[in-house]
Amino acid sequence: MPAMKLPLLTIEIRLEPDVVLARQRARQIAGLLGFAPLDQTRIATAVSEIARNAYQYAGGGKVEFQVKTGPPSGFQIQVRQRGQGIKVLGAILDGRYDSPTGLGVGILGARRLMDQFDIESTEGGATVTMVKDLPRRSAPLTPQELARISNELAQQSPQGLLDELQVQNQELLRALQELRDRHNEVSELHNRELEATDRGVVALYSELDENAKELRKISELKSRYLSNMSHEFRSPLNTILSMCGFLLDGSGGLSPEQEKEIGFIRKAAEGLAGLVNDLLDLAKVEAGKAVIRVESFEVAGLFESLRGTTGPLLGQGPVALRIEPPEGIATLQTDEGKVAQILRNFLSNAAKFTERGEIVLSARQGPGDTVIFSVADTGIGIEPDDRRRIFEEFSQVEGPVQRRVKGTGLGLPLSRKLAELIGGSVSVRSDPGAGSTFFAVLPRVYRAPDEAEAAGDARWRLDHDRIPLLVVEDDPVDLLLYEKYLEGTGFQILPARTLAEARRVLRRVRPAAVLLDIFLDAESGWSLLAEIKGQASTGDIPILVLTVVDGREQALALGATDFRLKPIDRDWLLGRLDSLAGPGTSPTALIIDDEEADRRLLRGLLAAHGRFSIVEASAGREGLALAAECGPDVIFLDLVMGDMTGFEVLDRLKSDPATGRIPVIINTAADLGADERRRLDPGTAAILSKSPGSAEEAFATIRDALARAGLSLAPSGPGVAP
Amino acid sequence: MERIPILKMGDFLIVTIQVDMHDRLVTTLQDDLTSMISSHGSHGVLIDISSLDMVDSFIGRMIGNIAGMSRVLDAETVVVGMRPAVAITLVELGLSLDGVRTALDVEKGMILLRASTRRRLTEEDEDGRDEG
Repeated sequence: MPAMKLPLLTIEIRLEPDVVLARQRARQIAGLLGFAPLDQTRIATAVSEIARNAYQYAGGGKVEFQVKTGPPSGFQIQVRQRGQGIKVLGAILDGRYDSPTGLGVGILGARRLMDQFDIESTEGGATVTMVKDLPRRSAPLTPQELARISNELAQQSPQGLLDELQVQNQELLRALQELRDRHNEVSELHNRELEATDRGVVALYSELDENAKELRKISELKSRYLSNMSHEFRSPLNTILSMCGFLLDGSGGLSPEQEKEIGFIRKAAEGLAGLVNDLLDLAKVEAGKAVIRVESFEVAGLFESLRGTTGPLLGQGPVALRIEPPEGIATLQTDEGKVAQILRNFLSNAAKFTERGEIVLSARQGPGDTVIFSVADTGIGIEPDDRRRIFEEFSQVEGPVQRRVKGTGLGLPLSRKLAELIGGSVSVRSDPGAGSTFFAVLPRVYRAPDEAEAAGDARWRLDHDRIPLLVVEDDPVDLLLYEKYLEGTGFQILPARTLAEARRVLRRVRPAAVLLDIFLDAESGWSLLAEIKGQASTGDIPILVLTVVDGREQALALGATDFRLKPIDRDWLLGRLDSLAGPGTSPTALIIDDEEADRRLLRGLLAAHGRFSIVEASAGREGLALAAECGPDVIFLDLVMGDMTGFEVLDRLKSDPATGRIPVIINTAADLGADERRRLDPGTAAILSKSPGSAEEAFATIRDALARAGLSLAPSGPGVAP
Repeated sequence: MERIPILKMGDFLIVTIQVDMHDRLVTTLQDDLTSMISSHGSHGVLIDISSLDMVDSFIGRMIGNIAGMSRVLDAETVVVGMRPAVAITLVELGLSLDGVRTALDVEKGMILLRASTRRRLTEEDEDGRDEG
């Protein structure tokens, strides 16, 4: 029978109690194998020594119990250490090694206790193999007997609880290790995925970048192509047209049938020529090649020529063209050709989509030295969603009427481009079914782009006779509407299209009220509202928020005086303005002074605040008449005048019951004596001295005088008008 | 934490080891014993190892240490109840337990301890008289 190793049991050495377990098992197995008690002790001791070494010096290992079959049969114990091998092995086995911890004693002693003892030390660890020969017995060890021993070992445990605990511990450790492995695996997977995603995003970005570049290039190419091709188209078209003209007007010799056919050819060629011209213009504007020819012209003349070109479009059909005679519009200084082209496009567009009714062309002075042209029709109108789109190239609204009329979709975009080119803008209002109105708001005087920035100041020049109102509104049509509402009411509109402009106005003027739109081009009016309300010097200016989306609560919360959804009703606006800042509530002051300069000074001091409506008289008699006529709340009276003295005027005022109660403030340059003062005192509220001083001083004096007269100004400091 | 109990009996400390000790348990026992000796002023320690089937080099060395430390603390150590197989193995291992007195069982161990204590006390008395 060849030598075989039959495994009986394996014990892991991880913790200190494992050493005890190993030697107990060794003793138990030795007992089962039939060793005498002394040998059992020897084997247990040897196992204890080697297992302890494994635990102490290598941090753990494995003890395997085996039966080695014949001859001679023996009980073999193999202890495999983890970690490094035993470095001083030779010295230990020779007995030369003197260990402070007893390492040498352990190995040497174990060797003495066993029949065979081998140590194999490698880089990966040491293996100790010990054999104790089986005691001589009557019968050799049978497989059945071995199975019985194994069985018994499995059942018996020398130290039940500890063993159990150990098994569980080992399982736990294994589970933990597995868990750690899996965790590492998962996190590595995650990292790899994240990296891949990152790379994907970067690639995507560069692709987008590339696409944008490509698009820009294509757009440029398109413009160039259009520009070139249009030229190429034009010359053959011109040939066709002139040939047609020649045939039709010329020598004759055409049958009526042929004449009709040639007419068709000419008409088609004319249409094509118009289209090519539009394309060429658009391409020019896009390529920045358009040249602006500034000239002076009158609107009336422009309208006449437009009537000439639009009339044929309408013919004798059911649609009439009405041109409102322009009034009060100063001479324009801009590119007449471009203006005409814009309006022509509007008119032909209106003609296409209007089946009956009328088309009205009109022009009026717009805010801030602009002219607003409008073309109103009674056509099919435009759905809200389409209003933006119609100004884009080649876009046409779908619908039965639209399908019937021919068009390239180039007219309106070209108008937009042209208007922008000369510093203006186009817009549209429309009621589907009722008609549309197209507007072009153009600066009356064309300025090159770098000049435009400086403009605007002119719009904000204060008119001392009117009450300044700041209107923050980016829609020129709404602005025009307000201007029209306020015509002749004593309010002056200071328009601001952006928040920056509004701030510029506020730095120079203290308006009596602010009309504020919330949805400005790219900005929100809320910030301006908070800004005005947040500053002590402007916090008391009433603000009316006029916009298209309901925000009443927010507006009022931010300090607005009132909120109103557009469209704004004229009566409502005037009512609100009158009650807040209008002349109806602001006191009227009568200035009686023969010196123009003095009146002007006083007027300036009072008017910068928009709180007084001022009436002036340059002589005593005139002053008396005005006082009786308009019943001012306060009279400023000069003492030295041409026709009568201030004393006389004062006496006459006081003796008339209609004017007797009006407080009078004497405003004089004369140095008054005590007598004169006594004479003035009973009838006057205060005496001002026309002494040169700072605006602030003058303002404070007037305020005091007014307070004594029973009137008071706004509590803020003086606004300085430019 | 498990511990080997130490009993105090008059001047002596008695330890009966009834479990197979792992190494830390032996170290703990050594620490416990030395501190008990010094706190109680014991003169003798009796260690009963009759339940141990095996004493390996570590345990043997620790028993030797305990005896040595006790002697320094003025206490005699007697190990009792060592089984013959254990004794043979110890010798074969190369350990002789120098300086450790042994007795066959607890009874003989106690007699040994009392005798040595008495002898020491007498010697001290005589020394005292000489000086007096």
